[in-house]
Amino acid sequence: MSAHSQKSTQSARLAHGGRIDRSRTLQFSFDGKVMQAHPGDTLASALIANGVHLVGRSFKYHRPRGILTAGSEEPNALVGVYRHGDQTPNLRATQVEVYEGLMAISQNRYPSLDFDVGAINDVLSPLFPAGFYYKTFMWPKAFWDKVYEPVIRAAAGLGKPPKLADPDHYANLYAHCDVLVIGSGPAGLAAALSASETGARVILCDEQAEMGGSLLSETGSTIEGLPAAEWVAATLATLAARDNVTLLPRTTAFGYFVQNFIALAERVTDHLAQPGANLPRERMWQVRAKEVVIAAGAHERPMVFPENDRPGILLASAGRTYLNRYGATVGRRVLVTTACDSAWAAAFDLADAGVEVVAIADMRATPPEHLREAAARRGIRVEAACVVTGTSGRLRVSKAMLGRLRNDGSVVSAGDVTCDAILMSSGWTPSVSLYSQSRGKVVWNAEHEAFLPGASVQRERSAGSCRGVNGLAAVLEDGYAAAANRQRRPQPVPRARADA
Amino acid sequence: MLLISCPYCGVERPETEFRYGGEAHIARPADPSQLNDEEWAQFLYMRTNTRGLYAERWRHAHGCGRFFNAVRDTVSDKFVCTYKAGEPKPDLDALARASQEKDAR
Repeated sequence: MSAHSQKSTQSARLAHGGRIDRSRTLQFSFDGKVMQAHPGDTLASALIANGVHLVGRSFKYHRPRGILTAGSEEPNALVGVYRHGDQTPNLRATQVEVYEGLMAISQNRYPSLDFDVGAINDVLSPLFPAGFYYKTFMWPKAFWDKVYEPVIRAAAGLGKPPKLADPDHYANLYAHCDVLVIGSGPAGLAAALSASETGARVILCDEQAEMGGSLLSETGSTIEGLPAAEWVAATLATLAARDNVTLLPRTTAFGYFVQNFIALAERVTDHLAQPGANLPRERMWQVRAKEVVIAAGAHERPMVFPENDRPGILLASAGRTYLNRYGATVGRRVLVTTACDSAWAAAFDLADAGVEVVAIADMRATPPEHLREAAARRGIRVEAACVVTGTSGRLRVSKAMLGRLRNDGSVVSAGDVTCDAILMSSGWTPSVSLYSQSRGKVVWNAEHEAFLPGASVQRERSAGSCRGVNGLAAVLEDGYAAAANRQRRPQPVPRARADA
Repeated sequence: MLLISCPYCGVERPETEFRYGGEAHIARPADPSQLNDEEWAQFLYMRTNTRGLYAERWRHAHGCGRFFNAVRDTVSDKFVCTYKAGEPKPDLDALARASQEKDAR
């Protein structure tokens, strides 16, 4: 069956751009509906390219939920994926790679995702005391076992557990290295390059299928004279050619134990349509590293406004990733609401790709002049001191209500805008979880308005935006320094291990 | 999993190769029959159980099989040093001070 002969279902796929392989078309299904995608897509990017934002229902009130992020921090887009005749529940659509014949289902809805009887909870929620609980259904006593509990159990929760025994096998191996680099964004790549130059054994792991992190979604930035994506390809080729470097994509560092003992989970076959029978589904690496460079990056924060959980409302960086990395647009009329600079780049990229950006609503009274000029050049309406006060749209956002922030903190209406997607960003939070697992204590940094890693307890160093370094050049520099310090002077880490 | 350096083998090995042997430098009474019950119980059971640096015995059970001594910080679970059985007990206070200075740097 040739997919090319069929009409494309990918209504939100742009004509060009992205890192997907457009020469091949894959078929996958979501809740039984067959759609098309390209190799390189995640389930989330494929759904967005097909114009699908509604992917689930919330845990208790069954509110419609859409894709929020483009990475492992996804809270909403949890799906079940069929494999060997059974489904694995609660996988993040942003991490599931599309392959030919992939079958995915939405969760926590009955009878269907569009029409869900459980959503009555949301309509009735004003009648229930705050966050009503099972105790509401105590009487009459005999009803609990027969009626209430089965119904409530079926109505609440997320995916259903698999019914069959797991047919897969899983592997486990130990590894030793001089430097383990966690995260392959700019800081991680720079650290791996610099550490491996002198022959040190380096393991570089990243949870995504493709290494490069934020650089894969970059436009316009150049590193050493090369566009960001080309620098990534050249760097990965250099690293792969070095015998002392092990590259581990699709590998999540999930545990940091004493004396730099790190547990990694490598997903080996989940992305393959026909995995070899001898391959394990996952491989657990237990790595003892002399030193660790944590380059875990940062997470974007959402803007907080009523009904910001409506499908079609995403983080700005996610909208930019879907555009630049997957060639898919989150909407045709996009509103950007923000309190920081980085979301403006998403608006500019969308506008440059021919998508209508209806407005940039910046909470700040005076957004930077150069951004306003860049917006004016593209003809984008800019609203300063402006917030979103509410949204409407049943299964996808269709309208946003804007409000003007006044000096006394009150908000007055500033009209409505019609839109089919909202991108939001209120800033970035460094990802310090691995540092915290290494027993380090985070320290509040007023300048960055974030908790940053404090003194190292083990022989580790955070590099790049996970320790509050901003800007590509500074992040790269920090990545190089994280590994370079190792060779030139004694370990800078204050509380290095000191056994004989 | 901790790494422990065996002073006989001269290598670091994971904790699973070792067996713990209780507090170090407790001399067995020369003539146990001369002790009353209280003194004998004192020798058998009473340990200092320090919070901080603690000298203790370890056996490289799945390696060379020999007993050695180690100084470990019972708060941070870090090994400060290991040394062969029969060598004198290090000055724990001096080690603690050195370790604190190292931390402060």
